[in-house]
Amino acid sequence: MVKNFLIATMCLLSMWTYAQELDIEGSVTDEQSGMPLLGVNVIIEGTTRGTTTDFDGNYSISSVPSDATLVFSYLGFQTKKINVAETSDFNIKLKSDTQALDDVVVIGYGSSSRRKLTGAVSTVDAQSIDDLEPTNVGQALQGTVAGINVTPQSGTPGAQVNIRIRGVSTNGDNRPLIILNGFQYEGGLNSINPNDIESFTILKDAEAAIYGATGSNGVILITTKSGEINQKAQIEYKTYYGLQETTRKLPLLNATEYGLLLNESYSNAGQVSPIQNLAQLGEGTDWQDEVFEVAPITNHSLSVTGGSEKVTYAASASLLEQEGIVGGSKSKFSRSTARLNLNAELRENIDLTTNVFYNHTESNNLNSFGLGSVLFNAINIAPTIDPSLDDITGQINLGNEVINPLPQIRNTYSKTISDRLSGNVKLSIDYLENFNLEGRLGFNSTNTRNRDFAPEFIYGPNKVFNLPNNSVTLGKIYDSDFTFDLFNTYENTFGDKHDVKFMVGMTVYKQFGEGLFGSSTGVPANSIEFADLGTATGTGDQNTATSYAYDVRRLSYFSRLQYDYDDKYLLSALIRSDSSTRFGPENRTGYFPSASAGWVASEEDFFPENNFVDFFKIRSSYGVLGNDRIGDFLYLSVLSGEATYVSAVDGSLIQGQALGPLANPEVKWEEARRFNIGLDSRFFDNQVGLTVDYFVNNREDLLIGNIPVSGIFGIAAPGASGPTKNAGSVRNSGLEVTLDYKKVVNDDFSFNVNFNISTLDNEVTNVIGADFIEGGAFGIGQPAPARMEVGKPIGYFYGYESDGIFQSQAEVDAHPSQLALGADASPGDIRYKDLNGDGVIDENDRTDIGNPIPSVTGGFNLSMTYKSFDFSLYSFANLGNDIVRNYERNQPNVNRLSYNLERWTGPGTSNSVPRVTVDPTANAAFSDFYVEDGSFLRVQTISLGYTLPENLLESIGVNSFRLYAKVDNVFTFTEYSGYDPAASTGAPIGSGIDLGFYPSPRTYTLGLNVNL
Amino acid sequence: MKYIKNIKYVILVALSAQILGSCSTDYVEVDPPYQVTSESFFKSQEDYENALIGAYDLLQATYVNVILGEIASDNTHAGGESATDVIGWQQIDRMVHTPINSNLRDVWNFNFAGVYRASYIIENKDNIEFDGKDQLLAEAYFLRAYFNFELVKWFGGIPIKPEGRFELGEELTLPRASVEDVYTYIETDLGNAVSNLSEVPSEPGRATVYSAHALLGKVHLFQNEFVPAAENLNAVINSNQYHLYGTEADEDYENLFEYSAENSAESVFEIQYTGVEGAGFGCLQCSEGNVAVGFSGVRGYAGPVFESGYGFNLPTEEVYNDFGVNDLRRDVSILNIDEWAAETGASYNIGNQDPVTGHTGYYNRKYLPRKNDNQGDTNLTQPNNYRAIRYADVLLMAAEALNRGNINDDLALDYVNLVRNRAGLIDISQSGSQLLDAIYRERRLELVGEGHRFFDLVRTGRAESAIDGFTAPKNNVFPIPLEELQFSQGNWSQNTGY
Repeated sequence: MVKNFLIATMCLLSMWTYAQELDIEGSVTDEQSGMPLLGVNVIIEGTTRGTTTDFDGNYSISSVPSDATLVFSYLGFQTKKINVAETSDFNIKLKSDTQALDDVVVIGYGSSSRRKLTGAVSTVDAQSIDDLEPTNVGQALQGTVAGINVTPQSGTPGAQVNIRIRGVSTNGDNRPLIILNGFQYEGGLNSINPNDIESFTILKDAEAAIYGATGSNGVILITTKSGEINQKAQIEYKTYYGLQETTRKLPLLNATEYGLLLNESYSNAGQVSPIQNLAQLGEGTDWQDEVFEVAPITNHSLSVTGGSEKVTYAASASLLEQEGIVGGSKSKFSRSTARLNLNAELRENIDLTTNVFYNHTESNNLNSFGLGSVLFNAINIAPTIDPSLDDITGQINLGNEVINPLPQIRNTYSKTISDRLSGNVKLSIDYLENFNLEGRLGFNSTNTRNRDFAPEFIYGPNKVFNLPNNSVTLGKIYDSDFTFDLFNTYENTFGDKHDVKFMVGMTVYKQFGEGLFGSSTGVPANSIEFADLGTATGTGDQNTATSYAYDVRRLSYFSRLQYDYDDKYLLSALIRSDSSTRFGPENRTGYFPSASAGWVASEEDFFPENNFVDFFKIRSSYGVLGNDRIGDFLYLSVLSGEATYVSAVDGSLIQGQALGPLANPEVKWEEARRFNIGLDSRFFDNQVGLTVDYFVNNREDLLIGNIPVSGIFGIAAPGASGPTKNAGSVRNSGLEVTLDYKKVVNDDFSFNVNFNISTLDNEVTNVIGADFIEGGAFGIGQPAPARMEVGKPIGYFYGYESDGIFQSQAEVDAHPSQLALGADASPGDIRYKDLNGDGVIDENDRTDIGNPIPSVTGGFNLSMTYKSFDFSLYSFANLGNDIVRNYERNQPNVNRLSYNLERWTGPGTSNSVPRVTVDPTANAAFSDFYVEDGSFLRVQTISLGYTLPENLLESIGVNSFRLYAKVDNVFTFTEYSGYDPAASTGAPIGSGIDLGFYPSPRTYTLGLNVNL
Repeated sequence: MKYIKNIKYVILVALSAQILGSCSTDYVEVDPPYQVTSESFFKSQEDYENALIGAYDLLQATYVNVILGEIASDNTHAGGESATDVIGWQQIDRMVHTPINSNLRDVWNFNFAGVYRASYIIENKDNIEFDGKDQLLAEAYFLRAYFNFELVKWFGGIPIKPEGRFELGEELTLPRASVEDVYTYIETDLGNAVSNLSEVPSEPGRATVYSAHALLGKVHLFQNEFVPAAENLNAVINSNQYHLYGTEADEDYENLFEYSAENSAESVFEIQYTGVEGAGFGCLQCSEGNVAVGFSGVRGYAGPVFESGYGFNLPTEEVYNDFGVNDLRRDVSILNIDEWAAETGASYNIGNQDPVTGHTGYYNRKYLPRKNDNQGDTNLTQPNNYRAIRYADVLLMAAEALNRGNINDDLALDYVNLVRNRAGLIDISQSGSQLLDAIYRERRLELVGEGHRFFDLVRTGRAESAIDGFTAPKNNVFPIPLEELQFSQGNWSQNTGY
C-alpha cells in the first residue's frame, strides 16, 4: 500500500513537472520455485539505464518514464517485458527456460540465438565447469558434450588433453581450433583458469566453416565472464584442497613368485637358475608402493564483477598448485592467472571491449611414463632389490634400461616456466542504421624458459641413464601471435518477417617466434644450485648452442549471409578464402564454402497447439573446411639436417650442411567435407530437451607429416625425415543423441539430468600412392603395428592371430613352421594362425586384430538440490576400442605381470599364457595376445555441497557461503589390465598403444565458495 | 539523416580496407627466417664443402655394417644381454633372419642416406666453378661408391640413379638394377674419383687417390676381375705412401688399434669418430661416436684399460684357437677375458648364455672401448676410429688377386709374408692353391673383428661350409627390408629364398 501511495504521489508530482517519471521498486522470483533471483538485469527498454536485483531478488529503479517498458532478463530464464503504464505489480515472476532457446550463442564473427542456429552446436555452461572443477578446462568437455572425446595425455600434473571432435579424421594434427573471446589461442587449455569461463561453444559441423582453413577439426569457442550493466560488485572467493592418489597398481609378482618364474625361465632354456635363495625372498619390495605417493592439490580463485551505466568490469586472480602422485614436488605444476575485462559504451553507437589475461605456469618435468620412465622402472625392476640401493651393481642383471626409480626421481631437475600475456581490444561502431563495423586486435605473447640439470650419477653397469659428467641445458623461447579482424555486418528486417544478416570481413593472422638453447657440462659441486651456463666449466664441443625462428602468416576473407522468414525458415551460407605461408605458391589459397538450413516446425500454424512439444526444429548443413596444421615451409627443401664429421687432427667436430625433412612442393590444403542433419526439440514446458544429429565427415587429401617413405630418399640421415604428403581420405560418420531433463519439483527439490551418447564409424576410403601407411611402435625390432588402409578404421592394429598354446611337440610338428617369426616353436609357445594357408607362418599371415577408436562414447550427468544441499555426479564411457599392452619389457630378468602365474608349464596347464623362457621365441611378435578390450565406464566426479542459510550470513554481509566435498575419478569399470584405459598418445596411426600411461589420479577434495 | 555525421567512419573503413587489400599479395610471401633453402644452396665453394661434410657424416653410420658383418660370419657370436637382445642381430647370427629385421633396415636406410647426400652434390656439380671443384666432386663420387658397394654387398641389386638424387615416386618406377649394373656404376664413380683425387687428402682423414684405388681394387676383386683388381691395389702399394704399422721407428704393432695409431701410415681410408658429443638410442646414426665399439664392450666391466659395454660381437673359441701361439695378432685382436681378469683383477658380467649366440669368453679387442672421457651415454659415443681400408688388407687383397688371376705368385707371396712378418711369424713359401689357402687363412686372422669375413666367405664360395645355418644361394645376400618392398608396391622383388 505504501508503495502504491508513493507511486501515486510520484505521478502527481511528475504531472506537475514537464514529464511523468516514476521510481519503481519490486522483486524478481523464479515462477516455479518461488525463489528470489539474484542479479537479474532490469533495463528500461531503448536506453542503457537499468539495475540488477540484489541477493533477495529486490530491485529499485528511479526516474522511469511512465510510458517506459522494463525488460527483465536473466540467464536460463525467458526474458520478460513489462509496460510500466499497464502494471501496478512490479513483483515479477520469471519463467525458467532450460537451455533457453533465446540464449545468445557465439558462432564466430557474430552470434545467433539457439532458436535460429542451423548448425550442430553444443554448449557447456559455467555450472558444469563449477561442478567438475577441472584443473584443465578441457576436461569439462569429457562426457558433457555428445561427439567429443577427451583423453588425458597422462595423469601427470599440468598434462594437456587430446580433444577429438567427431572422431579422428586426419593423420596429422587432430586438435580442434580454440578460439578465446574471438581469437585463436595456442596457449594450451591448461593455462586457463576454469573459473574465468562463462561458456564453451563447440562447432561440430560445417558451421565451423567461417574459420575456413583452421576449422576442419571443429572449433571450441571459449567466452569468459564479464560484468553486467548496473550490477553491484559481486565478489567471489573459491578455494579447495585435495589429496590425490593412484587409482590403480598393476598386479606384479612379489619376490618369491618372481624368483620362481625366473628360475623356471632359465631352466626351460637349459641354463643355470640365477636365484639360489628362493626360500628367503619373501614378498620383497613393492616398487609401485615406493614410487606412488599421496599428493596435495590446492586452488584459490578470487573474482570481482560488476558494472555501472556505461561500463562493466570483471577482474580475477587464481593460484593452482598440484603435485604429482609420482615424484611429488618433482612433478609439481603451478599456475597463477590474472584477468581484467573492461567494456564501455563510449558513445551511443560505439562500444569498446578489452580483455587482458596474464598467466604464469611452472612445471617440474619428471619422466613419469613410457620407456625409461619412473613408472617403467618401477614395473620392471626386480622385487628382490632393496629400494635403498641407488646403484644396483651386483644385483640381478636387468639390462641397460632398468634402474632404481627412486634415485631417478631424486636426480631429476627439469623445470619449465612460462609467462603468457594475452589480450584483445574490440571496437564496434554502428556507423549507419543497420550497419555495424567491428575492428578487433588480439595477441598472445609467451616467454618460456627451460632449465634442465642432469647430475653426474651411476645407476649400475651399462645403464643408459648413467652420466659420467653432469650437464646443464637452458632453453629460452619466445612465441607470439596476433590476429586482426575487420568485419562489417548489415542487419535488417523487411516486412516484419524477413530477417537478414549479412557479414563480410577479413582476418590477418601472424604467428612468429624464436628459441635459443645451450648446454654445457662441468657444473660445480654437481649441484642444481650452480647449474647455469655461466658457471659450468665445459669447454670446446662440450658447449653447444642452437636456435630457431619461425614466421607463419594467414590472410583470410569471408562473408556470411543469414536469413530467416518468420522464425520458421532459416538459411545461412558462407564462404571463406585463406592464404597460408604453409603452402607453396601453387596451392597457397584455398576456398571453403558452406551452407545450412533449418525449419522450425513448431512455429507453423498447422503444428498442434497445446501439444506437449514446445519447440521442434530440423536443420542440416554441408560445407568444406580446411586444415593447415602442418609444419612450416614443407614445400621447400631446407638445409636443416645435421652434417657433422670429425677432424682427424684433434677429434673435434666439423660442421657442414645437409638437407632436413624431404620437401613436397605439391603439398596442398587438406579438405573436410562435412554433412550434418539434426533436430533440436523441447518438450513438456521446456523441461525435456532432445537433440539428435547424424553426420558424415569426409576428409580428403589428408596431410600426413613425416610419412614413411623408402630409405632411398635419404630420410634416415641425421636431421632428415619423411615428407608431408596429401595421402588419403577418411570418412567419419555417426549419430549423436543428447537428452536433458530439468525439473523443479518444489521449493526444496530440483534436479537436472543430462545423457548423451554418440556412435562413431571411422573408415579409410582412399590411400594415395601406397597400399597402406604404417605407424606406431611395438616391442623391439617388430614391424609397425598400426595401419591406415582402405576399408579399415584409421590406425587399426595389424598383427598375428593366435590360436592358443602348443601343448606338445606333436602339435608343434603338425603346425606350419613359425621360424619366420624369429624362432622355432616349442610346446608352451603361442600358436599363430596360418591365415593365407601357405603352410608357413610369416609376415603375410598378419591381419586386423583391433581398432583403437571407440565405437560408442557417452556421458551421464546428474545434479540436484534439496533444501540447502546440492549433489552432482558426472560419468562417461568409451565402448568398443582396443588397447595394446606394450609396457612389458622383453628382457629375461625383469619383473612380470601376475597373469604369468597362469603360464603354461606342461600339457593341459594353460591355453592362453605361454611358457616362460629366456630362449628366443616368437611369443613377443605382435599378436592379439597383446590386444585387450579398452572399454570402460568412469564415474568422473561425485560432489556434495551445503549452502549455509541466509539468515546466518546476512548479519556479516555475506551473500552466500557454500561448503562441499568432492571425489574425482571415483571409479572406473573396465576389463583392461593397464593403468588407465582413458589415456592416449593421440597419434592417429599408433594410438591405443599403452607404454604404461601415468594413471589419472583419484582426488578427494574439500572446498569453499563465498560470495560477498 | 541521423547517421550522416558518421560518414567519417565509412571513409575510415574504406581506407583501412584499401590499405589491407594492397599489402595482401605480399603478406603471405615469406621465406623461412634465417634458413638456407636448396634454391639458395650450391652458390659458393663453401656450400659444396659443407654438403660434402654431410656426406662424410653418414660414414659414421656404417658401424652397423661392420659389427653385423662380423656377427653374420663364423668369427663371432651375437652375444648381448640375452638370446633376444637386439633380436635382428641374434637372428642373423643364427641365419634365421627374415625381411622383418629393423637392423637390416638400418643398413639399407643408412647407406642409402649416404648415397643421397653424395648424389645431392653430384646433381649440382655444374652450378658454379671454383678451384678444387674436381677434387671435391671426386670425394663425393668416392663416398657414393663406398655406400653403394656396401649396399650391393648386403642386398645384391639395388635401384640406382647416377645423375642425382632419387625423387618421390621413383620407388615405383626405377627397378632394382642388376648386380653387374650396380658394379659398373660403382666403377664409374670410382674411376671419376681416381682421375681427380690427389695423393694428399683435402683435409686429414679424407679420401685420397689411393683410397679410391684400394676401393676400386676391392670392387674388382669382389667380381673376380683379378687383373684390374691387382692393378689398382698395386697402385696403392707402389705409391710408397703406406706401410704396415709397427715396422718403422716409434711404432709398436700392439698399438695398431689404440688411439695413438689412428690415421697412421697403415690407414688407406679411415672413418673418424669422436666422443666429445653425447648421443641417444633414438638416432644411433646421429652419434659422432663409434656405436659398434660400445656395443662390443665387456658387460659390467670394472678394471684397467677398458670401459664396459653391451657384450655383443663375441669371437668364437674356434677363431681364437686358429691363431698360432706365436702370432702377435691373437692378443691384439681378441681379449681372453678369464686370463685378463686373472691377470689384472678385472671383473665383468656375462649376459647371453645361449650356446649358439651367447658368451664365449672372448671379446673383439680391436674395437673394445678404451678408458676415455667420452660424453653422454658412453656406450654410444666411443671415439675409436674404424680402419676401413688398412694397408694389410690391401696387401692381402693384392696377393689374392695376383694368385687367383695367375698373375704373379712370387709377388703375392711377398705381400703375404710382409703381413706375416709384422705379426711375428716367419715366411711361408707356398704357391698355387696352397698359397691361396694360406692367403685366405691370413686374411681371416689379420682382419678378424673388422667386418670383412662374411663377405669374403660369400664371394669366394666358402660361406655355406663355414657358417652354421647358411644356405646358398639364399644367404649370399640379405633380404630386402619388408617395408621397402611395401613402398615399391611390387616394383622391387624380394631376393630369392626370402
